Amino acid sequence: MAALIRRPRPRAISLVGLGFVFLIGVWLLVNLLKDPERFFTVFLIGLTTGLVYALVALGYTLVYGILQLINFAHGDVFAFTGLLASTMILTVFDLTEQDSAGVIILGLLGTLVVVVAFGATLNSLIERVAYHRLLKAPRLALLITAVGMSFIVQNVALAIYDVNFRRVPELIPRSDVFSIGGVHYQWNKLSVVLITIPVLLLLTWLVRSTRQGKGMRATAQDPDAAAMVGIDVNRTISFTFALAGGLAGVGGLLFLLQFNIRYDSGFELGLIAFTAAVLGGIGNLSGAVLGAVVIGLIQAFNEGLAWATPGSDWTRSIIFGVLIAILVFRPQGILGEQVADRA
Amino acid sequence: MAVEDVLVVEDLRKEFGGLIAVNDVDFNVPRHSIVSLIGPNGAGKTTFFNMLTGMYPATSGRIVFDGTDVTNKPPHAITALGVGRTFQNIRLFEQMTTLENVLVGMHARLKGGILTSILGTPGVRREERAARTRARELLQFSGLRGRDDQLARNLPYGDQRRLEVARALATNPKLLLLDEPTAGMNPQETAAFTGFVGKLRSEEKLTVLLIEHDMRVVMGISDRVTVLDYGEKIAEGTPHDVQSDERVIEAYLGRGAA
Amino acid sequence: MSEGTSTERPTRARHPSGGTFDFISGPWQRLPARVREWAPLAIVLAVAVLYPYIVGDLKSFATIGDFFPELDAAVYILVFTMMALGLNIVVGYSGLLDLGYVAFYAAGAYTAGWLASGQFQDVSFHFGSVGIQRDTQGIHVSVWLVLLIAGSFTAIVGILIGLPTLRLRGDYLAIVTLGFGEIIPQVVRNGDSFGGFNVTNGTFGINPIDSPGFGTTLNDAVGLPVNFQQSFDKFRLFYWGILVLLLITVFCSWRLRDSRLGRAWIAIREDETAAAAMGVPLMRTKTWAYAIGAFFGGVAGAYYASFKSGAFPSDFYFNISVFLLCMVILGGMGSIWGVLAGGIILSWLNIQGLAVIGDKFNDAAGTNFEIAKYQFGIYGTIIVLMMLFRPTGLIPERRHKRELEEGVHDETFFDVSH
Repeated sequence: MAALIRRPRPRAISLVGLGFVFLIGVWLLVNLLKDPERFFTVFLIGLTTGLVYALVALGYTLVYGILQLINFAHGDVFAFTGLLASTMILTVFDLTEQDSAGVIILGLLGTLVVVVAFGATLNSLIERVAYHRLLKAPRLALLITAVGMSFIVQNVALAIYDVNFRRVPELIPRSDVFSIGGVHYQWNKLSVVLITIPVLLLLTWLVRSTRQGKGMRATAQDPDAAAMVGIDVNRTISFTFALAGGLAGVGGLLFLLQFNIRYDSGFELGLIAFTAAVLGGIGNLSGAVLGAVVIGLIQAFNEGLAWATPGSDWTRSIIFGVLIAILVFRPQGILGEQVADRA
Repeated sequence: MAVEDVLVVEDLRKEFGGLIAVNDVDFNVPRHSIVSLIGPNGAGKTTFFNMLTGMYPATSGRIVFDGTDVTNKPPHAITALGVGRTFQNIRLFEQMTTLENVLVGMHARLKGGILTSILGTPGVRREERAARTRARELLQFSGLRGRDDQLARNLPYGDQRRLEVARALATNPKLLLLDEPTAGMNPQETAAFTGFVGKLRSEEKLTVLLIEHDMRVVMGISDRVTVLDYGEKIAEGTPHDVQSDERVIEAYLGRGAA
Repeated sequence: MSEGTSTERPTRARHPSGGTFDFISGPWQRLPARVREWAPLAIVLAVAVLYPYIVGDLKSFATIGDFFPELDAAVYILVFTMMALGLNIVVGYSGLLDLGYVAFYAAGAYTAGWLASGQFQDVSFHFGSVGIQRDTQGIHVSVWLVLLIAGSFTAIVGILIGLPTLRLRGDYLAIVTLGFGEIIPQVVRNGDSFGGFNVTNGTFGINPIDSPGFGTTLNDAVGLPVNFQQSFDKFRLFYWGILVLLLITVFCSWRLRDSRLGRAWIAIREDETAAAAMGVPLMRTKTWAYAIGAFFGGVAGAYYASFKSGAFPSDFYFNISVFLLCMVILGGMGSIWGVLAGGIILSWLNIQGLAVIGDKFNDAAGTNFEIAKYQFGIYGTIIVLMMLFRPTGLIPERRHKRELEEGVHDETFFDVSH
């Protein structure tokens, strides 16, 4: 079957790309030398945020790997889970800073379970209701539907939570875990690492070793072949969506604990996470994590460093710039292999 | 100055990662001949075609069409130079009518631009009228008279194959590449199609390169047959020669045939 | 080759007779075909042109009167419908999912801001402008000329965006266009100091913007209005102005669709690999779709900026791109009548309809439900429902229409007639 494979990139463009990366390196180096404490503090912040992005980026990459679909609604599912987490924490469990560590931990775990289940269910529901029927339709139709779903999810969140930002009290203290030189790392940041790393390990195990995981990988490679060897493709797809949604739930809770969330936060965060997935290599799980960490660092550096920094006004443009640059210069991302375009 | 071979291929190679799909193949097609390319499934025939038409970039080697080096040129440029093709899995423009499908084939031969089309200048009108007339001629030649306004997706299978040929003819080719054109046809259809290919050569002065599995077609119409197996040319000659070549027999029977 | 297989010629689907509208459809069928073909257009056109005269009477009807838009809302409706037609060329004809059309709207509006306002106080350049004293600072070009320049400039922006973007596959194309649709408003918002130079006046936007008009000479000669913004009939004039622009857009869309380029676009939409193999140069053809779609967006944006006498960053945001996309989907991708319908319906809902419906509902049910707040949820729902149940739209493209009438035949594997 004829497929259109991209021509080898002309050398000039690769040189431009490399030149650009070099400039960035110089900028980072200057900032590091000028104010190393600030650099490392910002670095750690970026790393931590990156891990949260990773959870969402994984959701995009899992779904893309199996359906070649950019699930536009994913970011909004992520935001919705964060909002739900706020309800759990504030209303259901009624946690405040005064509560003991044990109560807080239990409350957060309970919230985690609820939002993960919610995210998984919501994402699967979206797939069943909207995407499932269009799997055989032209690609354009599926993509457009995803855009529509994104707005539907957003507006449901709007109906429930209105336009206000939701935030929770500082349940995890901002006190230092460690402090080397002038570089501080707080507990609330560490908690992100403590939760994300096990989740990622769990995911890796799931994808590598379980039947469902193998089914996912097989379906991602060749759905027809997978069906022929007895894999229930529909169930695998639903499972993938559920998994992505669950990861979004974890991300939603963690994000809420650091920042605040609104019904439309998912748009920007979703785009950031998607860029991360593409940067790392869409369809590639480690790539999603790597890309997310890089994006987290880019954002932190842009908003935190002092010398010749564009500043937070330009964060969105920079992230999109990265996305466009990757798709033009190296569409397979950092870790991806060169894949033929499907015609 | 007419070059004797309308197509000359030197050392053409295609690698997909570690897989060598086409392995340094030399190939030529004499003008006004009908050449068949055969071989078991997976031998690399369609990959070869796709490189000829510019859809895949070659890993190495040279393709010379009518004296011009077309290696790695984009598909539309190669078509404009005079290579037309049909596809193994029919790729018609389904939501367009029969006539419109053929008109698209004329894209490179027509000149109508944006402004002239919007203004509807006499020149553009004339060109469109002439184009439609020619399109109807091609449809009639291909056995599809009177179906101008039918949607391509509603045509019966055999007619869809004919439409693909009509569309390819609309590109005004010197060389016509047909990728398994009789797949799915019954014996009568196949015989009719074989006659049609002959007509293409005799009346339209075309050169035809076929990928075929149906040996009746291959033996019946080809001046020359080339056999590929695992990306390599294993035999070449008249149909009779190839039919009795040991390696060819082994390639087909040894793998449970196509 | 023998004559083609003779499957039965499908008959046009006939509406069963004996229905309620026979008293219309009977005589209707007896009219000559030419009349039947052009009548709907003529009627709609007449209503549109005469609308400013009848709007007062229409609005005086009890209950339903509130649904008719005032002229300023009507201008908004027609502006956005024109943009939807521009988007239709990109999405509907060529199948390129553009989620960043708002960038073209912004480009057009700001071109008007640059060439027809006091933004650039350091220069004084006047060319055919109306209503501006000759000694006023700034660049003041005739708005009619500005429309043309805005369209062309936006087309160039489209080409520039298209260069890296159009070689990408469908989903990536969508995301990248979305990205550009986000970058450009952000650039506009932060544009009050590009290297010390105030290009866009940042969050304050550019205002006022000059008015279109025909000047005193033409006024004396043929009675054409001097200056739209300052005219007593301001809204009528702007309304007719956009109506003319919309009609030009419709005309161009119609002509292009049946042209060599239009066929190439649809071929690309159907199967771009096959299109390339048939001699259609992909990048060039897609870029043309983008450029022409952008052109109309730019003109619409510039006109609207002149109407509002201002261009503000807050006017331009991602949701607008989806809003326009929804119009195309609702109406029917690739269908001119469809996009007109979709555009008018959705723009009307946005500027007036939802609020009116909401009020009436609240009055009737005694609730306090702000339906307009959820408009994008409604548009999203429309998109999803249309894609699931009627992807060809309210008024399908004429090719699809043939499919609905002819029906889709099962493929025979062998020609049974032989």
